[in-house]
Amino acid sequence: MSSKGIPDDMLVCRCEEITADEIRQAIREGARDVTGVKRRVRAGMGLCQGRICEKFVQQILCQELHMGLVQTGRSTARPPVRPVPFGELARGCGNDL
Amino acid sequence: MIYDVTVIGAGAIGTSVAYHLCKKGFSVALIDRGDIASGSSSHCDAVALISDKAPGLDTKMGDASIRHYRELAESFSYDFEYDRKGCLYVCETEEELAAASSYAKRQAADGYDMKIVDAKTMREMEPYLADDLLGGIWTPGDIAVCPYKVCFAFVEEGKKLGLKVYPYTHISRIRLSANRMVEAVETDAGDILTKRVINCAGVWAPDVGKLVGLDIPIQPRKGMNLISEQTKRIVWHKVMEFGYMMSKFESINFRRNVSSLVEEYNVAFNIEYTKADNILLGGYRGFRGFDVRSELEAMQAIAERGIRFYPCLKGINCIRSYAGVRPYVKDHLPVVSAVDEVPGFYIAAGHEGDGICLSPITGKLMAQLVAGETTDFDIRRLRFSRFTEAQRTA
Ligand SMILES: Cc1cc2nc3c(=O)[nH]c(=O)nc-3n(C[C@H](O)[C@H](O)[C@H](O)COP(=O)(O)OP(=O)(O)OC[C@H]3O[C@@H](n4cnc5c(N)ncnc54)[C@H](O)[C@@H]3O)c2cc1C
Repeated sequence: MSSKGIPDDMLVCRCEEITADEIRQAIREGARDVTGVKRRVRAGMGLCQGRICEKFVQQILCQELHMGLVQTGRSTARPPVRPVPFGELARGCGNDL
Repeated sequence: MIYDVTVIGAGAIGTSVAYHLCKKGFSVALIDRGDIASGSSSHCDAVALISDKAPGLDTKMGDASIRHYRELAESFSYDFEYDRKGCLYVCETEEELAAASSYAKRQAADGYDMKIVDAKTMREMEPYLADDLLGGIWTPGDIAVCPYKVCFAFVEEGKKLGLKVYPYTHISRIRLSANRMVEAVETDAGDILTKRVINCAGVWAPDVGKLVGLDIPIQPRKGMNLISEQTKRIVWHKVMEFGYMMSKFESINFRRNVSSLVEEYNVAFNIEYTKADNILLGGYRGFRGFDVRSELEAMQAIAERGIRFYPCLKGINCIRSYAGVRPYVKDHLPVVSAVDEVPGFYIAAGHEGDGICLSPITGKLMAQLVAGETTDFDIRRLRFSRFTEAQRTA
């Protein structure tokens, strides 16, 4: 899918309710990669940690800045891989995170 | 064109320095090798406190900075989420409470708004706090801000005053004239001619210093936090354990009754809510070079210590961890100074765990230094020459 196909009013990041238009605005404000977008408009900061929206954000970046997918970067991989209660984490059940 | 000043590093310190210089009417270039706020200033907590400062100059700068934040929040059109949440230090033992009382008394005597609250008052303020705690220190004027938005705010407001920003720009050399005066910063975007350079590169300030032959003793001191899912309110202020002081200042000799894991990772409980209703839970201090990977055992210890103070955390989900490095200086004071050996070269770096807090005042003081004005207060202890003097007397 090309990012032209992503309409401005589409919710790209559902966790944080960020539209494609807001992501394009972040790019106009200087964001050049996934992390730059995230810091400006919170896309990817919600419960799913960008697992769903990252690809769309990358596509919009490619389109707007005429860059390749690799240059759009990825958000830093950080544990836990999926949400885990602090109680389990404290008990050391985090070893397979 | 020749800039009056070129600032290297667009974190909380460099953006503030650049903004305050623009305000004084200087022409300013701000360079970063990455995005704005891509260093420590986006890998940290969000508070500006006086209650974690050593009495004296440290507290004085914190207080002046917090006041300045308030003025900026009122005058800036860019919202950096200024929030006067206040800070509560909680004590587990009589021994801690006694130490906390004498600390609070000393600060109050210096005129700061800080007082001891008893267990009952504390629980009214923070109903989810563990019920065996003895009391704490309450500092109502302590605030929080969104650290990376502070950087964006200084840049956007600076641009209105003519600030030129060079993000994603790599420096190859700082060119000096025959008499060792700063002349230009050579970059992959061309030469930036300038009369002065200010090194605001945080933990990387030593690298920038090397470009003009300086040895700047700043080291990375790692920190780590856990982030919760968005959740109902369980915390209303910044809350920390008194043992936090101990993890920050090695000189404080204090033994806590904690697990070996908490001890090993030098974990001290601190918690805060964010504007988006996540909880940030910290934290630890350790020397790991520039390695900012998340350490599983540290995560475990932070969760364990958090649950000690907020038992209800047990059932709340952790969605992410993150880590960053603090620009640490052995004497716990930043460098805000001209460099005698290289005319036109200045340093504003080494704020360790207080760079967000001290960002506004550092910008203001540095602009005064550059303008040749008397600084708001005596900052001779922040001079770079203190290191060479120490070497000479050693
Ligand atoms: C876990 C954690 C929690 C913290 N919590 C708090 C808190 O609650 N309150 C508080 O006040 N402080 C806190 N801190 C400390 C705070 O993060 C730092 O003191 C502050 O961010 C330092 O800001 P800075 O501008 O000096 O450095 P940075 O933000 O690191 O900025 C330096 C910039 O210089 C750039 N740079 C480096 N080298 C070069 C080069 N050669 N050329 C061009 N650019 C270069 C980098 O890209 C970077 O953007 C915390 C730190 C950590 C790790």
